[in-house]
Amino acid sequence: MSNVNLKKQSSREQFIEYAKTGKILINQCVKCNNLLLETMYYCNECFSNSFKQVSYTGTGKVVTFTIQSIAPEGFEDVNSYAWVVFKLDECRLNVSGFLPGISSPNDLPLGTPIKVIDFNDKHGLVLEKLKA
Amino acid sequence: MGEKVCVLGAGSTKYGKLNESIIEISLDASKDAIDSAGITPRDIKAGYISNVFGVTDRQVHMAPVIMSNLGIPDVPGLTIESACGSGSVMFREAYANVAAGFYDCVIALGVEKITHTGTAESTTLFSYCSDYFYEGGNGASFPGLFGSMARAYLATYKATEEDLAKIAVKNHENGFFNPKAHIRKKITVDDVLNSPVVASPLKLYDCCPFSDGASAVILCNEEFAKKSGKPYIEVIGSGRGASPAAVQSRKDITTIPSTVDAANQAYKMANLAPKDIDFVEVHDCFTIAELIDIEDLGFFPKGSGAQAIREGRTTLKGDIPVNPSGGLKSKGHPIGATGVGQVVEVFEQLTNKAGERTVKGAEIAMTHNFGATGASAAVHIFKKMN
Ligand SMILES: [Zn+2]
Repeated sequence: MSNVNLKKQSSREQFIEYAKTGKILINQCVKCNNLLLETMYYCNECFSNSFKQVSYTGTGKVVTFTIQSIAPEGFEDVNSYAWVVFKLDECRLNVSGFLPGISSPNDLPLGTPIKVIDFNDKHGLVLEKLKA
Repeated sequence: MGEKVCVLGAGSTKYGKLNESIIEISLDASKDAIDSAGITPRDIKAGYISNVFGVTDRQVHMAPVIMSNLGIPDVPGLTIESACGSGSVMFREAYANVAAGFYDCVIALGVEKITHTGTAESTTLFSYCSDYFYEGGNGASFPGLFGSMARAYLATYKATEEDLAKIAVKNHENGFFNPKAHIRKKITVDDVLNSPVVASPLKLYDCCPFSDGASAVILCNEEFAKKSGKPYIEVIGSGRGASPAAVQSRKDITTIPSTVDAANQAYKMANLAPKDIDFVEVHDCFTIAELIDIEDLGFFPKGSGAQAIREGRTTLKGDIPVNPSGGLKSKGHPIGATGVGQVVEVFEQLTNKAGERTVKGAEIAMTHNFGATGASAAVHIFKKMN
């Protein structure tokens, strides 16, 4: 994790900018130290909105996932991918994203290490499987 | 809690693929409910409508259109959207307004028309009910979100894909006796296990269908109900809950906090416990949802739902029959109508109109309906009166 200094952008734009470089931008509550994804406007523990922005490495372990036979619009051209919920290695937060190249549940045992590699308009938060 | 609130009449279209417009099916269900209550439209002081995708059938601002066609254009209406939980969330608002004494009689109507959009567009539209930035926008379909919940549940507790299949088999067994059901077909565990994977580990027969349909009920205060001389049921418990919108933000993916909260409020208000409920209509959009529901509603301890299913405890003859109507799985899931359709089932059951799917001797029943993956939920408890 490291402290960051951002130009004026919406919270989603900031989250996306960091995700493009493989990082997850997090708001650390100044009052109670609770960690929240950048897109949250108030702390869900103490309801303060005074945050310190911290970037975390976008590596984590698969908590759960699914592989679908019919996908929403914009994902039709992807032959097989998993939608994954993963826990960040450096903190307790879960994030979810798009993991291409997965066609069978056997390819992705729970706990498999993965990392954020991009955020794009088409597929959102893009993940990659790491070698165990 | 102010006035006692009763359900005096109920009606539904058949659920399934319907050709009429969203307004026509709304009027069909409304007429059935009005006739069943033995009232005229003039008795209705306000209209509450739940709907999600009316825009696809070229109609929003539906309440005035429906009220006008019921011959009561001067009656105020309101349309409420809460994804798949729209019906119960709307019912709660209708209930609250009668309880508060604003109106002595209202209509609560849920409606959906979606099948005309086709499976691909429906899948996209449903993904808009998720927390889109983190879910639909990353490729999650609705079955996918529940698939991820199912995988987490099966990895945490002693439950199998076969246990989930048994839920589908049971609901089809019940729905076979429901003339309004979308899919009236008995199925086997093997049928479910051999059906194509939709969103692993969920297969086609773990999933409810996309349905069109409308359901309506007449809500009134006790004085109005008594005067009518008609059989009625009383709303004795009402609760609403909320959960983090995104699955990733839930501390435990195998439980739905909004259900737990809403149920606790309803039990407290009715001064009842799970053992007092004679049957329940739960939100089984996917088999995994029913498994999670029956635990969250307090009928079985966390992690023991699958064992209860294996023992047949949730069948029509079990100690807590779940989804005698066939549930969303067999009866169908017109998302704006579903929560109201559950109340229609309770009304028919408790006024001796449920035919072969009757839960014998039932006097107290519960409905449970949630939006999306449970971000919103409502639970109601009803009591048979005269
Ligand atoms: Zn805080």
